[in-house]
Amino acid sequence: MNRIRQCILTVAIILAATLLPRGEAREWTSTDGRKLQAVFVGIQGDKIELKLANGQSVSVPKDRLIPADAEAAERFAVLGDDSFTKMSARNIDNLLAQTLVKNGFKSFNDPLPDDLFVRRVYLDIIGRIPTREEFQKFADSPRPDKREALIDELLIHPGRASHLFNYFADMYRLTAAGDFNNGIRMEPYIQWWKDSLTQNKTYDQIVREMVTATGNIGHNPAAGFLLRDAGMEFDAFSNFGQVLLGIDVSCAQCHDHPFEEWTMEDFYSMAAFFGQTQRTLSSYKTEDAMGMVKAEMPGAPAGWLEQFRTFARGKGINFDDPAASRQFGWYTTFLGWNLADIETRITPVPESVYDVGGKVFDPGTLIGKPAKAGGKSRREALADWLTDPENPRFAVVIANRMWTRAFGRGLVNPVHDFSDDDIKNASQMQTLAFVTNEMKRVNYDLREFMRILYNTRAYQSISTAEEPDAADKYFFQGPVLRRMRAEQAWDSLTLLGEGPEIDTRKGRDGSFLRELLKVDFEKETMDMVFAKYEAFSSNRGETMGLAVATEPGSLSPGQAINEGLRASEMVQPAAAASLLDTFGQSDRFVTDQHNFDGSVPQVLALMNGGVTSSLTGSASKLVTDLEKFDGPDDKVRGVFATLLSRFPTEEELSLGMKMMEDYGDDGIRDLGWALINSPEFLYIQ
Amino acid sequence: MIHQLIDLAGRSSLNRRRFMESTAKMTLGVTLGSTFLGRTPAKAQAAAAGAGKATSLIYIYLGGGMSHLDTFDPKTSKDVMGGTELISTKADPIKLGSLLPKLAEHAPKMAVINSMFSTNGAHEQGEYIMRTGYNKISTIVHPTVGPFAQELLGRRGKILPDSVVVGQSTSNAGYLDPALSPLPIADPSGGVPNTMLLTEQDRFDRRMEIANRLGKQFIEKYKYNGPKSYVEYYDQANNLLKSTELEAFDLTGESGREAFGMNRLGQGCLLARRLVEKGVRVVEVVSGGWDMHENVQTRLQERVPELDQALSALFEDLEQRGLLATTLVALGTEFGRTPDINPNSGRDHHPAAYSTMLAGGGIKGGIVYGASDKQGKKVAENPVKPEDFLATIGHAMGVPLDQTIYSPSRRPFTFANDGKPIEALFA
Repeated sequence: MNRIRQCILTVAIILAATLLPRGEAREWTSTDGRKLQAVFVGIQGDKIELKLANGQSVSVPKDRLIPADAEAAERFAVLGDDSFTKMSARNIDNLLAQTLVKNGFKSFNDPLPDDLFVRRVYLDIIGRIPTREEFQKFADSPRPDKREALIDELLIHPGRASHLFNYFADMYRLTAAGDFNNGIRMEPYIQWWKDSLTQNKTYDQIVREMVTATGNIGHNPAAGFLLRDAGMEFDAFSNFGQVLLGIDVSCAQCHDHPFEEWTMEDFYSMAAFFGQTQRTLSSYKTEDAMGMVKAEMPGAPAGWLEQFRTFARGKGINFDDPAASRQFGWYTTFLGWNLADIETRITPVPESVYDVGGKVFDPGTLIGKPAKAGGKSRREALADWLTDPENPRFAVVIANRMWTRAFGRGLVNPVHDFSDDDIKNASQMQTLAFVTNEMKRVNYDLREFMRILYNTRAYQSISTAEEPDAADKYFFQGPVLRRMRAEQAWDSLTLLGEGPEIDTRKGRDGSFLRELLKVDFEKETMDMVFAKYEAFSSNRGETMGLAVATEPGSLSPGQAINEGLRASEMVQPAAAASLLDTFGQSDRFVTDQHNFDGSVPQVLALMNGGVTSSLTGSASKLVTDLEKFDGPDDKVRGVFATLLSRFPTEEELSLGMKMMEDYGDDGIRDLGWALINSPEFLYIQ
Repeated sequence: MIHQLIDLAGRSSLNRRRFMESTAKMTLGVTLGSTFLGRTPAKAQAAAAGAGKATSLIYIYLGGGMSHLDTFDPKTSKDVMGGTELISTKADPIKLGSLLPKLAEHAPKMAVINSMFSTNGAHEQGEYIMRTGYNKISTIVHPTVGPFAQELLGRRGKILPDSVVVGQSTSNAGYLDPALSPLPIADPSGGVPNTMLLTEQDRFDRRMEIANRLGKQFIEKYKYNGPKSYVEYYDQANNLLKSTELEAFDLTGESGREAFGMNRLGQGCLLARRLVEKGVRVVEVVSGGWDMHENVQTRLQERVPELDQALSALFEDLEQRGLLATTLVALGTEFGRTPDINPNSGRDHHPAAYSTMLAGGGIKGGIVYGASDKQGKKVAENPVKPEDFLATIGHAMGVPLDQTIYSPSRRPFTFANDGKPIEALFA
């Protein structure tokens, strides 16, 4: 039944795509006032190529278009034409509205006013509040299409990748180091995530690279995904299910699922896709004639590791010194943590598991069709199966997650664990089916998918005033009120102190560490590898991840910058008791652990903490920033615009002016303090 | 809606009420009725054995899954011991792993439970039920012990919160009033950060008053728990800032710091003792690092000696101050670890049998309750579920275990999800 409906929807979308109605194309206006309805194709030199509804192509010089359209062409050159985007957004609105009406709602919540819109899209798309200038620019713009233009502008902004990284860092449990990485430094993997998001790599490709990665983290940083949980393969599989299939099968690890049909056999069969995957160095041990166990370096000629030790000894490494010996061991262990698929390898279920302990399962899919082996490795077959358009879970999971980022609540909940029945019974079931297909239509281009959602009337509505109960159905008359993520709060406060330079400031870059671990055992001499070891050894610890590749092949680490960085550029995750941690950043122990609860330490940080001090103290940036304004009324408006991205009400304005009258610039500081310490600051309305 | 944060006495009217309640409790040993507190009265607890002697609880939670075999349930079989030896203790029935020599001296205080079992083999779910008594589900968040005890027993503190969680940067009260949320202290050595005002008191008060006026419209516009809880946290923070009780969180002047071990677990236990001394009802000390899938012997050497030192110091300190009789010390974890050593020389998750420990607060010491089989694989006698463990804690604290509390969505809940207290543990 559901399948049939999905098919019908798919067909409808394909039809709609081929029969693009005339009205969907953008209207382009020339400097002499002539109008043309056409779809953007591309920019060639200083000419813009457009396609008319009758299929005819035209080429228009850039300077012949009005500035707004020339600017639109620049955006479209990166993002693509938006006629499909808007049509898709309207379809979502129609589907939502139909169900809303059926359930007794008149329509969506009231449309979002400009000021709330600008704050919301900045926070949602690039993860921080707008500066006062950015707010003012939008407020002053008379353009009728200024909302879609701003959405596009922000989707191209570097902050988009930073903000999206924070989401995935929580979902995929990214940590730079620590207990659960077996001591491996993960900066190259973290860097790979950031680069992938900056390039807007499609999500299916990101997943494929992670699931199929081989080699060590230097050869292939996506290997970090599986290396992270080496030694806890079955737990890693539980996470895999939650993150990629939206199914929490962790209980089937020890007993059959109490509510669903999944058995332990299902669990271990699915987990068996990773059963031939070698992750650790330990299995590369071989016994020599004397029965001595020797470790071999994966990918290296036999005996390489021993030769490298001898070489290092010759270079003065004293292996009798425990510290030096340990240091050397760390580097070779890093080099050795390696993913490979070995057909003869078997991974039995741990003996301690009831009923199935000691058994070895063949790979089998938990849901949907079986995976096709076809001479591929199990992991490649798994990646094919996952990203196949017929996979019943992959697209719906990521579409629903992205929806949740925009609306504060999933079309189906919780995002990491929902059943087929939950899908069928979703309050906005047709919308869920539609956006799932849209995710496939845009080929897992998350930027384009979010572009659709941000352009919906539903998204651009005032947040629902009353908190919907988690147990009740919610029909998406608008987004729910959301508290900022810890990273949004941090990035916004950092912006207030440092200005928009923070968007491009780089902190940790994993490419340095990646270079040190990328060893070509065939081509590189012992001298070359030893040089990498020395660079590793002298830069171990915190500075390792701060290295910036200044020039190609350079092995010198960059300067450590500890302040003024956005959350995504800091150590992952931030230290315990740091502001990010206090505001609920995930410890990355299990998936989706960001916490939105308030606390006493949070409010103490806002009342008395360093950031508030720098904003409202004697050298207050807030005050110097407003020096150019003459009247106290403009200054008060300026404080509101800077902190809350809105204009003050009459009452608020007179209160602010009274404070300035009584206390001068101190009044501004007090007002700034008060706005940071009113709950509105932390919320996305 | 926004309450006046501070009155001249430095105490809100609400707090005065709480103060009267606590005075009444201290002097009369009674809880004031519900009309006074505005909530349902606690049903009179049946005078069960040993109930209610623990006026405070220190719940040490070891996240990741403590190996029962290497700590409280060692076996004679070398096959499963992977290097840890079994040692005798001052209380004959109790045997410990060889990395707990100090604790062996304190065995007469401890009741060890070696028959815990859980159906949750994943960390998050396992920890959730050990700290709330309920399975983690998606439609509701259950409260931990501190907020639930406060709901049922009433608020006790004047300024200090009734519950504190050490080693965690956030907390909540589940479906209960957010005001009951434990105060999270991420780093025990850091105490409560940001308690120095940026300006003189007058100006601070002025700022706060303006913040309240400006926030009012927003709070009224959105009927959500989140923004309302922030109002409550500002209230609590202000009360805390004006009190001298804040000193309890500052470990710098404490002479006995080294004895507890200069690590998070040790300092967390020390902070817990200081807070209990000041009348805080529940302190959870949460400490991770017990998930030993690899090189379990090396990893145990990092963690177990810290536990040995911290717990021993805590026992000594509580005893010296005469607080052990009224302070229940509980040790919990989400599951044990596999008797088999895996190919990475580690132990994996093992919810089928594991250990916990209780001491003080009316608990009979020097005993072992329940047992696992010879390999520590399955429970052999007297199985104890997480709900029973929490019910035992509640029983010691005098919590009415059968009293039903309704969530805002009208779902019924009890303190330990109808777990049965282990009465054999009470003196």
